[in-house]
Amino acid sequence: MASSSVSTHPTKRPARLSQSAFAWILIAPAMLFIAVIVAWPLAETFRLSFTDTRIGPNYSYVGTENYQDLAESRKFKQTVSRTFYWMFLSVSLKLVLGLIGATLLNAAVPGRALFRILVLPPWVIPIAIGMIGWLWLYNGAFGLLSGVLQSLDIVDKSFEFLAYKRSAFYSAVVADVWVGVPMVTLFLLAAMQGVSRDLYEAAWVDGASRWYRFRRITIPQIMPVIVSMSLLSAIFTFNSFEIIWILTEGGPRSSTTTMIIDSYKTAFSSRKFGEGAARTIVIVCLLGLFSIAYLWVLNKVTKYYGTK
Amino acid sequence: MSTLDLKSVSKSFGDAKVLHDIELSIKDKEFVVFVGPSGCGKSTLLRIIAGLEEATKGTLHIDGEDVSDAHPVDRGISMVFQSYALYPHLSVFENIAFPLRVAKMPEAELKERVARAADILQLTDKLKLKPGQLSGGQRQRVAIGRSIVREPKIFLFDEPLSNLDAALRGDMRVELSQLHRNLQATMIYVTHDQVEAMTMADRIVVLNAGRVEQFGTPMELYHHPATKFVASFIGQPNMNFLPAKVTGTGTTGLAVQIDGGPALTLPVETSSAAVGDSVEVGIRPEDMAQGSGGLKLNVSVVERLGGTSITYGTTDAGTRICAALDGVANVREGETTELVLDPKDCHVFDASGTVMRRLQAPELAN
Repeated sequence: MASSSVSTHPTKRPARLSQSAFAWILIAPAMLFIAVIVAWPLAETFRLSFTDTRIGPNYSYVGTENYQDLAESRKFKQTVSRTFYWMFLSVSLKLVLGLIGATLLNAAVPGRALFRILVLPPWVIPIAIGMIGWLWLYNGAFGLLSGVLQSLDIVDKSFEFLAYKRSAFYSAVVADVWVGVPMVTLFLLAAMQGVSRDLYEAAWVDGASRWYRFRRITIPQIMPVIVSMSLLSAIFTFNSFEIIWILTEGGPRSSTTTMIIDSYKTAFSSRKFGEGAARTIVIVCLLGLFSIAYLWVLNKVTKYYGTK
Repeated sequence: MSTLDLKSVSKSFGDAKVLHDIELSIKDKEFVVFVGPSGCGKSTLLRIIAGLEEATKGTLHIDGEDVSDAHPVDRGISMVFQSYALYPHLSVFENIAFPLRVAKMPEAELKERVARAADILQLTDKLKLKPGQLSGGQRQRVAIGRSIVREPKIFLFDEPLSNLDAALRGDMRVELSQLHRNLQATMIYVTHDQVEAMTMADRIVVLNAGRVEQFGTPMELYHHPATKFVASFIGQPNMNFLPAKVTGTGTTGLAVQIDGGPALTLPVETSSAAVGDSVEVGIRPEDMAQGSGGLKLNVSVVERLGGTSITYGTTDAGTRICAALDGVANVREGETTELVLDPKDCHVFDASGTVMRRLQAPELAN
């Protein structure tokens, strides 16, 4: 009986796709989408970077000439180091301020829900509008900051923040930090709230001071989030375009020109698409390397600090 | 010396009063267990003793000194948390050393103390591991290690075994009892598990709705429960309560007629009872046996455990009964059997749930 029941039905199963073929079909739309909006433009940029394409329809392949020019250009090297300085300074400030902000927002004070909401505006309002606000603040003739500094006798005449190389650079950093801090704050706050209360109570019972608890419990416990936030923040800051563009357009005298601004100016202001493409390929490579290094660090940190 | 005295300690959270005038005196080197159902206030009471919560009213004295406002370190207490509260990023060594690092103890002494604690708790070969690499029982021991290195006067345990599986719980109970003997320290232990309370405690505090129902040795609680609540909470399976009417009082005992059952004369103090009063006769499942002329039981379920047969059913008056009968007892589901009640095993509770003291309880209980 048993053998006959097995032999009567074996061909009734419908023809089926193999599991992997089915999986490919499922992810195909997403793959296609990514191919069209990411892979193809990237490949085009890569191709463009080996040409001398300008506004006209004719161009020719120039080999690695664009890259050689970059390697020999003193100005480009300055731009690269300026970009990394910009990134380092801005990300450090965002993390430090974010950590302080998250700690304060995590404190049991009355009305802390309100404070948590009040942190959001820099992040929520469109960057362009925020930057117009900063333009007004930095304005020498009618700007609030200059006015306050004058009335406090710190400067004796009106000060145009965005008019000098150094002050323009640091003013742009301040505006960038202003935009970036809320996100860092909220992510760190969320991480802090995930730390078990028992750990703090146990440490408190053992006599640990507030600072000691912060140093030996909070920081290690949120370290994986600190590391991943710094990676995200670093990439955002590296690629931060509209903040600088609206405030200074990379000036004065290139003092706020980061790699992304430089690429834009080369490609779209000077219409040297080939050279601009070469610059963006350098950015992609640098950020790629940077991300790999960061993920490696993140992995180490997560392992070191253990899971909860 | 380390005694603990709570004087009229009360605690409210907003309008909710969770502890009512708690008076307790805990002796030196005593192992005291706070036991009670969820929400009875036992953990809150422990947290007040630890200093994690402030009492709304009342004072706390350790060795006669008022420490109501003192920091836990100055109180000389340490606490083991239900979640263990181990620092996941620190090694076992650093977890145990944590309180000593806080106290800035010199490295040599610190190492020695951690080594000693690790030795007591059999953690010596685990010191380099992280808590995540340990089993539940080992984590528990690390948490205990962290509390013993500071050499506190009083140890507090907040349901420390509730996250362990049953077998490990049994082992850890024995280990904790041994630890108590070795350290010769005062320990206060919170649990909702009456087995833990009965097996480990020198004395048990039974809490109910923020009040101390009874404070006594495990045998006192078992044989002389002060209230119906204690009687029903201590003992497994739970005590049976049979509604009855008082038919006579005298110096030798109380004559009662059990609803749907026999008339008995029970050897208890009768000063508070009068003829006609409604009372409840309490009898433990293990004190019941099959026999003729007793209480008729309509058997609904029999759980045969081998050594005993836990038999559930109802009396003719509809009272639900559980009896722990002999393993091979002749009882069947759907049939009836008769149970004899030995008067000296019976507890009597008046309408308010207060006990009438038994006159013939076993000697060990007194």
